[in-house]
Parts: sequence; C-alpha cells; structure tokens
Amino acid sequence: MEVKRSSSTKTAISAIIPFVLLAVMIGYVFGPGSELISFGVVIPEISIEKVEFVDSEIIATVRNTGPIAVDIVMADIDDMILPAAIEPDKHLERFESAIVRIPFEWNEGQPYAIGLTIDDGTRFEKRVDVAAPSIQPTIEMISYFAVIGTYVGIIPVMIGLLWFPFISKLSRSKYKFFLALTVGLLLFLGISSAEEAIETSAENLSDVFNGVLLVATVAIVSFLALNYLGEKLKKRAGASKLAGPVAIALMIAIGIGLHNFGEGLAIGAAIVLGEAALGAFLIVGFALHNTTEGFAIAAPMARTKLMIGRLAAMGMIAGVPAIFGTWVGGFVYSPLTAVIFLAIGTGAIFQVIVLIMRWIQNEEGKLSNSSVLAGIAVGMLIMYITSILV
Amino acid sequence: MLTSGQKMFIVIATVSLGFVGYLVFPTMDITAQEQPIVFVTHSGAVVQTTGDVLDPVYTIQEVEFDPEKYLRDFDYGKVSKLEDGTTLREFTIIAEDDKIMEIAPGIFYNVWTFNGSVPGPTIRATEGDLVRIYFINNGDKEHTIHFHGNHPAEMDGIFEIVGSGGGQFTYEFIAGPVGVHPYHCHVMPVEEHIGHGLYGVFIVDPKEGRQQADEMVMVLNGFDTDFDGENNLYAANTIPFYYQHHPIQINMNELIRVYVVNMVGLDPINNFHLHGTLYHYYPTGTDLVPSYFTDMVTFSQSERGIIEFEYEYTGRYMFHAHLTEFSDKGWTGLFYVKDSSQLNTEVYNFGS
Repeated sequence: MEVKRSSSTKTAISAIIPFVLLAVMIGYVFGPGSELISFGVVIPEISIEKVEFVDSEIIATVRNTGPIAVDIVMADIDDMILPAAIEPDKHLERFESAIVRIPFEWNEGQPYAIGLTIDDGTRFEKRVDVAAPSIQPTIEMISYFAVIGTYVGIIPVMIGLLWFPFISKLSRSKYKFFLALTVGLLLFLGISSAEEAIETSAENLSDVFNGVLLVATVAIVSFLALNYLGEKLKKRAGASKLAGPVAIALMIAIGIGLHNFGEGLAIGAAIVLGEAALGAFLIVGFALHNTTEGFAIAAPMARTKLMIGRLAAMGMIAGVPAIFGTWVGGFVYSPLTAVIFLAIGTGAIFQVIVLIMRWIQNEEGKLSNSSVLAGIAVGMLIMYITSILV
Repeated sequence: MLTSGQKMFIVIATVSLGFVGYLVFPTMDITAQEQPIVFVTHSGAVVQTTGDVLDPVYTIQEVEFDPEKYLRDFDYGKVSKLEDGTTLREFTIIAEDDKIMEIAPGIFYNVWTFNGSVPGPTIRATEGDLVRIYFINNGDKEHTIHFHGNHPAEMDGIFEIVGSGGGQFTYEFIAGPVGVHPYHCHVMPVEEHIGHGLYGVFIVDPKEGRQQADEMVMVLNGFDTDFDGENNLYAANTIPFYYQHHPIQINMNELIRVYVVNMVGLDPINNFHLHGTLYHYYPTGTDLVPSYFTDMVTFSQSERGIIEFEYEYTGRYMFHAHLTEFSDKGWTGLFYVKDSSQLNTEVYNFGS
C-alpha cells in the first residue's frame, strides 16, 4: 500500500514539473521588468454581441474581445452621443462582458447603429437592420414558444414515427435500404448543423473565439461524450436481443434531440431579432425536415415488436428539446451559446451516424451493399430537395 | 465505485461546463450590489443604474483643459516701445506632440499643442504693432507656425521648417490686417498637424479700438479619435458638451462679442446658430461695418468672423452647430443671461 501511494505521488510530481518550469519561463519573459517582448502596438477590441430594444431604452451587450483590458467611455446611437449606463461597470478585462443601457425613444421597424467608444477614442459599431421590441419571458411568451417548439419538434417527429408499421413489413434488403436512408438524412442534418454553427460564429462572434475551431472542438467533444454514454447504455442493456435496436433508437433520439435543441434556438433567436419572416420560414422548414427524423428513430426498431409506449417516449426525447431551444434562443440568446449548442448538435448527429453504420455492418457484414449505398444517396437527396423547396 | 474512465469523464465534463459557463454568463456578479446611482437623459428622463454612468459631463475638477478660462483669455504679449514709437509685442510659443489629453470624459487622445493646450494661446495685437514670436519646437516631429494675415514670404511658416527636439525660429511681422485670424502648423500633412491640435487664434484690433463689450473666443474644432477619416467629437473650444453643462454667464443688455474661428478638419463646413436673438456678423472681422444680421452663419474650413449680440431677456439660450451631426457629437452650449441690475443675482448651477 505504502509503496503504491508514494509511486502515485511521484507520478503526480513528475506530471507537474514541466508546468512549473513553463510558468517560470513565461514569468521571466513576460513578467515585470522584462524588456524582451516590448515591441509592437497592442490593438484593443470590443464586440457588441447583442442589441435589445425595450421600453425607451436600447440595451447592448458588449464583450472585450481584444488582448488587453479596456474602459467603455461613451455610447452613441447613429453617431448621436447620449448619456448611458454600463453594468456592472465600465472596466472590462479580457473576455469580460457588460450591459450598456442607452435611454432612447426608438421607433419600431427602423434601422439603428449602436456605437461604443473606448478609452483610446476608438469607436465600435453594431448595425441593427430592424428595431423590434425585445421579447420578455412572460407566461404568454413562454407558452407561445412552447407551442412553436411542439409544432417544430414533437408533432413532426411523431408523424414520422407512423412509418413504423410500413418499415416493419419491408423485406430484409429494402429494410437495409431504409436504414441507410436514415444515415443519408442524418448526414445532411449533421453537415447543415455544422454549417449553421460556423455561419453564426462568422457573423456574430468575434475572431478571438476562433469560430471554426470552437465548432470543431465542441462537436468532437460532444461526439466522444455521446459515444461514451452510448457504450455504457449498450452494456447496461445487456445481452437481451431486443435491447440492441432499442438502445440504438434511443441514441438516435438523444442525438436528434440535441440537434432539435439547436433548431429551436435558431427559431427563438429569429423571432427575438425581429426576423418574423425568417422565423416562419424556419418553422415550416424544420417541421418538414423533422418528419424524417421520426423515420430515423422508427427504422432501427422496426424489426422488434411494436412498443408504442417506448416509441412515443423516444419521439418525446427527440422532439421536446426543440421547446427548450426556443426558450433559450428567445429569452437568453447569445451568439456564443448558439454556436456551442449548434456544435453539440453536430457532434451528436455524427455520433448517431456512426452508430447506425456500425449496426448495419454488424447485421450485413459490409457497407458497400448496393441498397445501403443507394439508401444513403437517396436520403441526402431527399433532404437537399426539401431544403430547397421550403 | 467509479472507474478511472468515469472519473476522467466527470472531470472533463465539469471543466468544460465551467469554462463555457464563464464565457456565457461572466456578467453575473454575486457580490453585493452597490448603491444605485441616477443620471438624467438629454430629454430629461431620470434613469437609475447599479453600474457606471457614461456621460460626457465634465466637472471643473477633472478638466485638463479649461474651456471656461480659455474663453476670455487673451495674451497681449510682453509689451515694449521701439525708438520710433512702434509697440513691440513679444510671445514665446512652444510646440509639443507627445501629450495625451482627456479630451472627453474617459477618452484619451494624443494632442499636439502650442504652449500645452488645444487651441494654443489667443494672441492679440493692435494693427501696426510689431509682433515677434519666439518659436521653439520641442516635439518629435517638424513643426512651424503659419499665421493668416500680412507678412513677408519668409515669415509664412511654409518653407522654414523648424526641426524637432528644440529647433527654433523667430517670426516677426507688423500686425495686420484688422480682424480675427487663425494660426496653425503648416508641415505636411497639414490635415494631421491641424487635426491633432496645432492651431490657435490671432486677433488684430483696430487702432481706434472696438466698442466696449464682453469678449470671448470660440474655436470650433473636431477630433477624429479613431483615424477613420470621420470626426468622432466636435466642440466649441475642444471639450464636447462643455458649455452645455457649464453655461457661459453673460449679462442682459450687455454687448457680447465672440471671435469665432472654424478649425474643423475633414468636414467641409461648420456653422454657428444662436437662440433667442440675432447677431451682427463681421466676416473675418476685417470690416468695421457688419455684413449680416442673422442667427446662422456657415463657415468653410478655417473661415472665421466676429459676431456681436445682446440679450433682451434673462434665461438659458442655446448656441450650437445647426448641422445636427456636429451638435449630437458635442458642438453645443448654453449662454446663461443674468440681469446684472438686480442685486441678489441668482447664480445658475447646472445639475445642482
């Protein structure tokens, strides 16, 4: 026992030594009194991440995205310098954010440019195309978003599940085709999630967050985490013959649920940002897309006995997160949260794809089967065409 | 018990959630809330905040350049008589270009200065006086002084570049013509040297003098603090909104004379609008008979003139650029007209 403990202490120390040396070196190079790196000009930067319009006030969320601390000292609307308040305070350390409240009688539907000036006189601006009252989390709004989430998430997925009897009557090779079709659908969804995440980060996130790398990191971590959970789930399900397909369907439902959370986020944010037309478009588009998700959950279970309760539960797991998504997107939207959730959804979808592919391989022995390949291709085509049509 | 894999998973999950949580909700401050403070908007609404107020209001204590003092500060120079009876006025002007000044609350800008301020001193002489200016350039760049007015070519401050780090030059000329003129550095690029603040006012009084009046100088200027080719701040006498919050006190029925010089760069024009009365306008101040009776005069770059007016009623009157973009960015102020015939004159204190 004694020997083992001392060896683990040694291991810990040997892991820490390089860190200590690194800290000493950084302290020496950058620390006080060091003249080694004193060239170049440091350029401060802030980003206005969100602008909200409330009663007689415009509220901007600002973050210090530059390499040094800054003070926010002046606020303007369309170049008009106005008295304003900044909370919690005007000094922003790196990555710190604050709320700037500018009392202003704004007009609905009008574009505005919100400007903030920092202590060195540099002005940063955020343009808002259309001013619309920001949405407060009242009971009515919460239920309104819940209804939209239900239409987008739960109902279409449930409708998709109704394909269950159809799939269960299919011959073996046709069944493989439809299973592969699911892979095609998911592949498309995964790519579109990633695209959405990268687009959001490019439009609304400061460069300092390294948008693409943030999406990649979060997506891969989410992929690995779900993989780990999936394995645990399968092990727990044990050797029972039924458990395999059900576990896979459950993993698909969880993955799709995470993805739908991202969709809800997009819808909530679009409504809040006053882009009502975009919101409506997203609702119709996602609703159509999401029937195919129901299909994806139904497919792996189609060879088992019909268990309506379980099937419905999976539908809920996949659909309900859309409601939470609309709430988060609608009431506490920030581009960073949006990008992170979209990336989590992306990782989840790809994890599900791997899961289904592995299952097909176990059943079939190889993936190059013509019905499998055709299924994937048709799945992607269906998604592509529905995405154009809506 | 947990396996090491599970432990690792929990650690990674906790760390990543913590980091994401910090990025998403860093403004959540669980420490005790401070006492809320209150501020007043331009339209009079009272707003409460637990944070800091961003407002271009200067208090006298903070001000690095005092527009109150500059307004009526005239430098007549060191006066002596030459043998032929001519009055000699000697001035020393030192240029610097390394000063960082707070030109609006919290905004720090590298000003280039004559005698440490923007604008430089208001130099005043009578027509026919001999003006001698000892110029010392203590800056890191080359500078000159170019006076508007009559003088020999070699006194024009164009080709006689004065070197940095203590370079010297003596400008000497007979003051004239009568009027209000700018002086400024004329080293290329001129826009940069003027934009950073190397300018001031040169007044030449007529020999017979002007009618007794409460006299003041207003230099209309602007600052492009982020160098995007557009001025971020405008003002009369450098500090945006200063006279708005610290009204200029004048007397009812007393003649007011303002020497107005437009030194705004980047924008082609500026203007001066007065409320509650009209003024007589003397373009460049060269004529002793006014050209207009108006409340609106437009100035192109470096255009200037004298305005004269009186108020019939007491109270607060605005003066400002009628280009609303300029007034929104600080070129606006107030006259507070008092009745000096009344004994217990109520002193107006803004914000108290």
